[in-house]
Amino acid sequence: MLVSLNWLKTHLELGEADTAQISDWLTFAGVEVEDIRVLGVSSPQVVVGRIESFVPHPDADRLSVCQVQDGSGATRQVVCGARNFKAGDKIPLALPGAKLPGGIEIREGKLRGVLSMGMMCSARELGMGEDHGGLAILPEDAPLGTPLSQWLGNDTLLEIEVTPNRPDLLSHWGLARELAALAKLPAHEPAALRAEVAQRAATEAEVSLADPGCPYYSARLIEGVQVAESPAWLKQRLESIGLRSINSAVDVTNFVMMELGQPLHAFDADQIQGGIVVRRAAKGEVFLALDNREYALDEQDLVIASGSGEVLALAGVMGGAKSGVSAQTKRILLESATFDPSSVRRSARRLGLGSDSSYRFERGVNAAQIAQASQLACELIVQCAGGSMEPQLRVAGAMPSAPAPQRLELAHARRLLGIADLSAAQVEQVLQALGLKAVQSDAQGSLWQIPPWRLDLQRPVDLIEELARVIGLDQVPSRLTAQFMAAAGGNSPDRQYDEAMAMRRSLAARGLQEAQCLRLISQAQVAEALGNAQGQGAAVSNPLSEDHAVLRPSLIPGLLAVADRNAHQGSERLRFFEVGRVFLPLPKGGVREEERLGLLIGGPAQARSWHQAEPAAADFHDLLGLLEGFWAPQRIELKTLPANAAFVLAAELRVGNRVLGWVAQVHPARVRQGHGRAAWLVAELLPSALRQLRSGPAKFAELPRFPSITRDVAFELPVDCAAAKVSAFFEGLSEPLLVGRELFDVFRDPSGKRLGADRQSQAWSLTYRAADRTLEAAEVDAAHARVVAALTKALPATLRQ
Amino acid sequence: MLSQLDSLKAQALQALYTLTEEAAIEAFRVEYLGKKGHLTSLSAGMRDVDPALKREVGAKLNEVREAITQALSAKQEALQAAKDAAAVAGLDITLPGRPGAGQGSLHPLTQVRDQAVRILRKLGFVLAEGPEVETAWHCFDALNTPEDHPARHPSDTFYMPDGKLLRTHTSSVQIRTLESVKSLPVRIISPGAAYRRDEIDATHLSVFNQIEALYVADEVSLADLKGTLEFFFKELLGSGTAVRFRPHFFPFTEPSFEIDVKLEAKGREARWIEIAGCGMVDPAVFEAVSRTRGDELLHPERVSGFAFGMGLERLTMILHGIGDIRHLIENDSRFLAQFA
Repeated sequence: MLVSLNWLKTHLELGEADTAQISDWLTFAGVEVEDIRVLGVSSPQVVVGRIESFVPHPDADRLSVCQVQDGSGATRQVVCGARNFKAGDKIPLALPGAKLPGGIEIREGKLRGVLSMGMMCSARELGMGEDHGGLAILPEDAPLGTPLSQWLGNDTLLEIEVTPNRPDLLSHWGLARELAALAKLPAHEPAALRAEVAQRAATEAEVSLADPGCPYYSARLIEGVQVAESPAWLKQRLESIGLRSINSAVDVTNFVMMELGQPLHAFDADQIQGGIVVRRAAKGEVFLALDNREYALDEQDLVIASGSGEVLALAGVMGGAKSGVSAQTKRILLESATFDPSSVRRSARRLGLGSDSSYRFERGVNAAQIAQASQLACELIVQCAGGSMEPQLRVAGAMPSAPAPQRLELAHARRLLGIADLSAAQVEQVLQALGLKAVQSDAQGSLWQIPPWRLDLQRPVDLIEELARVIGLDQVPSRLTAQFMAAAGGNSPDRQYDEAMAMRRSLAARGLQEAQCLRLISQAQVAEALGNAQGQGAAVSNPLSEDHAVLRPSLIPGLLAVADRNAHQGSERLRFFEVGRVFLPLPKGGVREEERLGLLIGGPAQARSWHQAEPAAADFHDLLGLLEGFWAPQRIELKTLPANAAFVLAAELRVGNRVLGWVAQVHPARVRQGHGRAAWLVAELLPSALRQLRSGPAKFAELPRFPSITRDVAFELPVDCAAAKVSAFFEGLSEPLLVGRELFDVFRDPSGKRLGADRQSQAWSLTYRAADRTLEAAEVDAAHARVVAALTKALPATLRQ
Repeated sequence: MLSQLDSLKAQALQALYTLTEEAAIEAFRVEYLGKKGHLTSLSAGMRDVDPALKREVGAKLNEVREAITQALSAKQEALQAAKDAAAVAGLDITLPGRPGAGQGSLHPLTQVRDQAVRILRKLGFVLAEGPEVETAWHCFDALNTPEDHPARHPSDTFYMPDGKLLRTHTSSVQIRTLESVKSLPVRIISPGAAYRRDEIDATHLSVFNQIEALYVADEVSLADLKGTLEFFFKELLGSGTAVRFRPHFFPFTEPSFEIDVKLEAKGREARWIEIAGCGMVDPAVFEAVSRTRGDELLHPERVSGFAFGMGLERLTMILHGIGDIRHLIENDSRFLAQFA
């Protein structure tokens, strides 16, 4: 909301308080001041001056030395760069000490050696407009020597944001009342609020409230009006806070709303056939609003209709095009009412028709001033547009009751605020200033009557909130306590968090960058990234766009997008990971959320350096090597998955029956499309499955006391015999002295020159040791011979010598 | 014999003096001290020495052997030392280090979240979590946010076909925790993702991260809230950080405050920057949770609590001087590398 300081001052004696002080008061009242704008010239040292004469500056072509009358009778010398003036022109003259918008302070000084005792200003320099083409030439009747602020007037605009629980602050009087209470300033309640309004019950034919959405409605007829342009004061008030002047009747309703907070509506009474009927719309009923657009209504919309059935206004939101007041209007029916906040909010929201009026009704209006607001508006309409109002206000329904009294227990307040010595007197001081009245008191606390405008004070804790707000947190001591919750189980979020962090740090230490990707992605992105392997993502019902329509079912689509982006900007070496949640659609609806670790590598496996100008591109086994630390010392199995459009190579990772995740090489076509030049490899693991591999703290095994002896064995195998088969052979072997084996060479020659293309050679280093003695060479030779014999028997292997 | 020994010694030491190659030195050793070397063959001559002179010749023999051996090992040591020195001679120590696997990094959001988590853990907060696809009950109803509240509208909140929604704040974890907790105190932090139906621009994301804290016990007051938050922000932003609390409104806390910290941006005057929201848990929240629990553990007249929450993106942007929130989701490696 925009607040005019001049308007505020009509209710509040601000005394010496400057804008910063007012802004501070508001801030600590819970009202955010988002912007402060000064309209016009505020510095009293900017006065109307007159140029008596001028000569060119002796040392500068562009400058003139002027003799300027400042109103004191004397002339002062001012050096000026503008050329749009002549002797006798009246101009804004900033005297030394004047502060211009933007913080510039004017001082006496020499310009190219010539004394200048002030500055003549352009419109822009004064914040009065954009014109910077020369001096602002003032009209001849501008009073010489008078401060511009006094002659033109000025104002300060505060743009404030009021929290939704405080609709009582959405008017100048409301804000003045609050500031008066908080800053202990004198305020003057508008006389209109004290007026006794003559009223009578409206007849059923005049006003019929057919729906509880409108509990209380008033209308008043003004006849013989001549609606035209508003008087200057009214226009100026509205324009100062950014409202466009329409005509005197509409302007008055807006003025009263901004003055007191009660939205009003003026109907052209001659456009209403029959009385007023407040009812829900029929489904499909059409409403032509003030903006000249048609809106299709439904049964939830509360409308003001005529007895003849026509919708005149969307209650509390917007008036109709036909029933509005125009220059032709002779009779005005002025509505002042209250509507169910939810109903107004729903309609305004659904139809996209928010207005200053709906903004206030949605939050709640003070029903106790409905009649007074109507009275003030009618008087002003008569004043501006002539005519005469009927003697009594027509009223239908019952005024909603004021908020119920609330009891405040002193002990409760002390406990919640943490102020042990909070006194009953302090409580009283705060609450009374805010308009509450103690209706009953005892040693433990008091019962407080709530003023009708404070719709937010509905529970004892709301009163404590007022104490906290007014007393301020400065007065609350700081207490720092540590307290501990009982430890949760082994699978607690704490444990998971620590493990995920350890995982992240370990990958970062191995040169991977952590990415954090979007959780909402497009269905096409999912399908393209995963082929058909992983199904679809769960779709959101109301996505912002197709690009963000489903919850990611995997981390890989995001990581691929990261690879695309970085490859595109020229990165050759791609090493990314993400630890985060994925969302798996369940067959019967709903989703399962799961934490995953995703990795993507591509390009050189090592960073390029002076030491290694062309590092080899990362391949499948670089990725495996990165991952192995996560499941060591368990041996994992790789189970090949069928290739698809997304992956040229894919495998599931498992230990026994437990799936740890999967690894894949992205399809080369996809890599090329992403401007990648080498293989892209991805993996997605389940931290929860990895966690289960580790059961409790590692158990120490005694270190061997006797030396070991190694023997190497090299053999040829068919090229398609998997290394895992050989591993499995060694693992299954019951040779008690064999304690370790290591594959240290694999050789293949697709050209067939050094080794048949259908053959491979493997070399293993085997370690022998006995737990209780140093082995003799002969024992080792015998054991090794047994192993080699078993090897050639169990596998299609031939020994190489 | 004695003179023979003397001349052998002189000859050996002179020969050794000129040697520089490792192989030549080894050949020298064999020539003089080896099994068939000069000294060995001379010492074989001891048999023929006059017994009266044996003692003197023996001593001489030892002396010569000792002298040659010593000179040889001195030569060997010198040679090794020269080799060792040559091994590092000329090395340009100003060449950059070998990068190995290269420098990885944690995402700045992760780093800031971890800082926050570590600070709060010092005070005895434990982590808690909940689903991101959440019920309206946990996200809104139980948090005193009525059905017609604007935040619940499909123009602001993402909904799933089954009526669930994507949580709009991590405050839903408060409810999850309070529903299941067995005893007091409750002292949790819940970092996590939240969703709002905002178009992505320089200051908005539709998915963002929050960190939330909740403390519920018999007698928790605003003093605890203030002390905890002052500690938190001073640990996070420096001990001189000024913190202020502005009254505000949230449906699930009463009273509520927004927290500003005074920060200096480069070349600008220090100013108050809004950084978090907080307040005392609204009794309506305890009432709602007590209804589903069906017990009195969290009866609003018996317990009180505070909660606070903040946006991690905003915190990260403030801490690192990042002007556009989209950097945090683009994962440009040049951006990420700045946080290694």
